[in-house]
Amino acid sequence: MTRPALLLLPVLAALFAAPSLLGDYQTYLLTLTLIWAILAMSMGLVLGFVGQINLGQAAFVAIAAYLSSILRLRYGFGFWSAAPIALAAVVLSAAAVGLLTLRLRGPFFVLVMLAFAEVVRLVIANWQDMTNGPLGLRGIQPPEPLLGLRFDSKAGFYYLVLAVLVLSSLALMRLVRSRTGRMLVAVREDEILAEFVGIPVMRQKVTGLCIGASVAGLGGLLLGPFLTVLAPNQFSLFASVDMIVMVVVGGIGTLIGPALGAVFLIYGPELLSFTSQYRPAMMGLLLILVTIFAPRGILGLIQDTGGLARRRSRPAGEPHGSGR
Amino acid sequence: MLAQQIANGIVLGSIYALSALGFTLVFGAARIVNFAYGEILMIGAFFTVALMGALDIDFFVALPVAMVGVAALSAVLFYVALRPVMKSSHTSLQAELQIILVTLGLLYLLREAAVLIWGTAPRPIEMGVDGIVEIGDVVMTTKRLVVVAVMGVLVLGLYLLLYRTRIGKALRAIAQNREGAAAIGLDADRIIAFVFAISGAMACAAGSLLGTLYAVEPAMGGPPLLKAFVIVIFGGLGSVPGAIVGGLAIGLIETLAGAYVSFAFKDVFAFLALIAVLLLRPAGLFGRPAS
Repeated sequence: MTRPALLLLPVLAALFAAPSLLGDYQTYLLTLTLIWAILAMSMGLVLGFVGQINLGQAAFVAIAAYLSSILRLRYGFGFWSAAPIALAAVVLSAAAVGLLTLRLRGPFFVLVMLAFAEVVRLVIANWQDMTNGPLGLRGIQPPEPLLGLRFDSKAGFYYLVLAVLVLSSLALMRLVRSRTGRMLVAVREDEILAEFVGIPVMRQKVTGLCIGASVAGLGGLLLGPFLTVLAPNQFSLFASVDMIVMVVVGGIGTLIGPALGAVFLIYGPELLSFTSQYRPAMMGLLLILVTIFAPRGILGLIQDTGGLARRRSRPAGEPHGSGR
Repeated sequence: MLAQQIANGIVLGSIYALSALGFTLVFGAARIVNFAYGEILMIGAFFTVALMGALDIDFFVALPVAMVGVAALSAVLFYVALRPVMKSSHTSLQAELQIILVTLGLLYLLREAAVLIWGTAPRPIEMGVDGIVEIGDVVMTTKRLVVVAVMGVLVLGLYLLLYRTRIGKALRAIAQNREGAAAIGLDADRIIAFVFAISGAMACAAGSLLGTLYAVEPAMGGPPLLKAFVIVIFGGLGSVPGAIVGGLAIGLIETLAGAYVSFAFKDVFAFLALIAVLLLRPAGLFGRPAS
């Protein structure tokens, strides 16, 4: 086990003990933070490792959240039988959009993903019979018990979210260290060179997008039962931008960074009881300041101040040219 | 019925084209995807409303003044927020990402600034032009015809600026080859700031005209921004004729599909048309194929 992973153990222990130490409200807040951490991590993979600015990530969250909830509310599915169907739909749609858009260079991908997300949101908002339109789907129940575990309490659901977060981050850590992960980084750094040495560039990028989308889908599955209500405006451009802000603030090109960013941007403001009125303005200002003054985010600042010795050996996943 | 729908489509398309022009200009000259563009448009509409209210002047007097104001604001935003990241970026992904992040940050900031200053309640803009015009079967309010006329004037002005002036020539040079333009002594920063100013003025006009047809509110920048994205990909990123033809085409597609296919899904058709264009001609109708 590597050193950063060891450092995470006390954090994990604290997260595991949290619901019994803290009240219901804090547990609720932590659950929200962890769900956003899952979403931010999915964006972190696409942004930092596939090297694509995906403004349509919220669409994958929306597809998973809506499809699983519609299957449960209208067709009598259980959470656990609806989940794989919804995830499969997310991966399929990611593959379809990916094949269509990833061959385009530069800003086309950004704009087309945005258009795709907008189509998904418009269909949700206008397909009244199925989605209940702008009023939203209501009364989404917690997942049914599985293997003797119950999820209908605040703490029970919290542990489910924690488990999803831990398992998906372990899977992603393995992924970025694997052959696929190294190929992704190679493609991100120099597509033409990567193609020249025989890496199937297109397949790698589509695979990366699909994995990112499926993690976002996992977050989406949890969102319905957590909020009990789903409405189309939760999945606008701003949801994707929020994820990007978390990745950038936390540290791009890492996997821990985005989760840190989620804590900083969801748990932090709530804890200090900022009025939600100023939150968007704060996000905007933070985004500009971090981009201009601290392009490597919180993790970058920590490394600069604390671990000067470690600066020489940067993690392989860090984007080229960011360490100035 | 069909003629009426086509006329409606052209009016809508004119506003779309006007919204897309400022966006595509900035992309063409500086390769910047400006996510704050919709908010500049919204701020422009508020400038016009505020001027009309404070000085008790006519819409057609307030609009040019507001356009100058927004042009200045847009150029200042470029110098303060965008130029620092354009200077410091190395690789293309890093540069592209940083610029997009900063314009996204501006989007949030400008919208919240508008909410704080002007509140969220929608406000009308009175153009002071009433009555309707009938041409054959087509009935149209005079206001809408004025919108088409203003768009025509602005497009003509932009054409003259780009192709009949020295600064227009410099601007086209920067768009074609920034290093080459710098080598012959053109100051890229100043010219890009000028493009931002022109783009801001166009956005202000588009926002104010939209405001006369609907209402002015802080959230009004979102839909035109998304439409501008669709239009410029449709017509070709950075292409001025592409933005005009794309705007008119999207306006017509939406109106006709809304009338004859499904009103609820009218916005989806524009996106479907976009996907079709990307499959057949990825650089857009008027775009040059990417290098």
